Amino acid sequence: MKKLITLTVNDTEYEVAVAPNKTLTQVLREDLNLLGTKEGCGVGDCGACTVVLDGKPVNSCLVLAVQADGSRIKTIEGVAHGDSLHPVQETFVELGAIQCGFCTPGMILSATSLLEKNPHPTEQEVRQALSGNLCRCTGYQKIVEAVQEASRRMKG
Amino acid sequence: MLLLPKFDYEEPKSLPEALAMLSELKGNGKVIAGGTDLLVNMKKGTVRPACLVSLKKVEALREISGEEGGLSVGSHVTISEIADSDRVASTFPVLARSASCLGSPLIRNRATIGGNIVTARPAADLPPALLVLGARVELRGKDKDRTVSLDGFFTGPGTSVIETGEVLTRIVIPSPPPFTGADYIKLGHRAALEIAIVAVSSRLTLDKPDGVIVDARVILSSVAPTAIHAVSAEKALMGQRPSEDLFAKAASLAVGDSSPITDMRGGAEYRRDMVNTLVKRTLLRAFKDARDTKGGNA
Repeated sequence: MKKLITLTVNDTEYEVAVAPNKTLTQVLREDLNLLGTKEGCGVGDCGACTVVLDGKPVNSCLVLAVQADGSRIKTIEGVAHGDSLHPVQETFVELGAIQCGFCTPGMILSATSLLEKNPHPTEQEVRQALSGNLCRCTGYQKIVEAVQEASRRMKG
Repeated sequence: MLLLPKFDYEEPKSLPEALAMLSELKGNGKVIAGGTDLLVNMKKGTVRPACLVSLKKVEALREISGEEGGLSVGSHVTISEIADSDRVASTFPVLARSASCLGSPLIRNRATIGGNIVTARPAADLPPALLVLGARVELRGKDKDRTVSLDGFFTGPGTSVIETGEVLTRIVIPSPPPFTGADYIKLGHRAALEIAIVAVSSRLTLDKPDGVIVDARVILSSVAPTAIHAVSAEKALMGQRPSEDLFAKAASLAVGDSSPITDMRGGAEYRRDMVNTLVKRTLLRAFKDARDTKGGNA
């Protein structure tokens, strides 16, 4: 039987009737049409489905939508302010931290969560914070550099 | 895309309501906590509960509190809450260290301490540290409550003494004796999202800073059907004056206590060698901490 849940996604409140076996990834993509969140492995290994749930980055493929009832969620669609990109998005583009782009939404959400908690992370701390997000294109170096550059820009 | 099979979902408002529900569901109900293990198994079809019972509304299960110098941790406290808790870091740093080894930051934000125990995986990260700390777990059922030592909890890979309808509600860690130190080392191919090839946790208690060992605990993980005590190593350490030679002797005895298998993560022979290395290293660190921290710090 479907259950009626309330999700606040990127500051907009949605009421959705969902079957208990739908994951948060599925509801974001299929019911709310927010296609920025990707599903890769579906078992919590790749991090492509990362969203920020009540302030913490999580694998949305391992969260039931019904478990998220009443929660605040940030997806990649909620990171930019209108037309102006978040500093992390800017540096990802400028420094070549994006290639195919599939891991990027998850990377950006893990990176912005890190910078909110720790505005000046060391390289090691950046690598640790992104260790649940796999990228098969870049070899990570550009991604780590982009997060560090964003941290420097956000300082000023 | 991996899809979940159909199931019902309930969110009881209190623990008694949840226990009544689970008792009525018999084997068809399962508690969902963080879901990082359960949902993966359900997607792969290895478990098919008819109903998932979420205890997210039972707030008491999410509390960490001090208890007579020890610690009480609700079963639904997340792994990242444990890894980041000042209270845990100051009283039981070995527990914080083992929590920070589990999965990835994303997994740690969902996975719970209770889940890491009840799944009873032979390579789980928290049980070795909890075992050296002498943790006990509180099990609540509809008609009976009991507290069991974690030492007697695991019965095999994926199995434990927990009965149908019972819920693990709380983990209680006793206050550490003075001059106590502990360590946990996990060996994996990579630093994150890894299942241990071998993991070892050790704890030493001295009678005084330059004294003899009055209590020794050495737990080996991923080298037997459950995490086990290296009984002969523990025996060899008791009553002795700490030294590198003594630790080397204990480490080689610990190898004989292990019964590793060969699988994709490592060969049995390699695992035996690593038991030797990791027991030695954890004992050295535990000894250093026991000597340097007079207030009883595990």
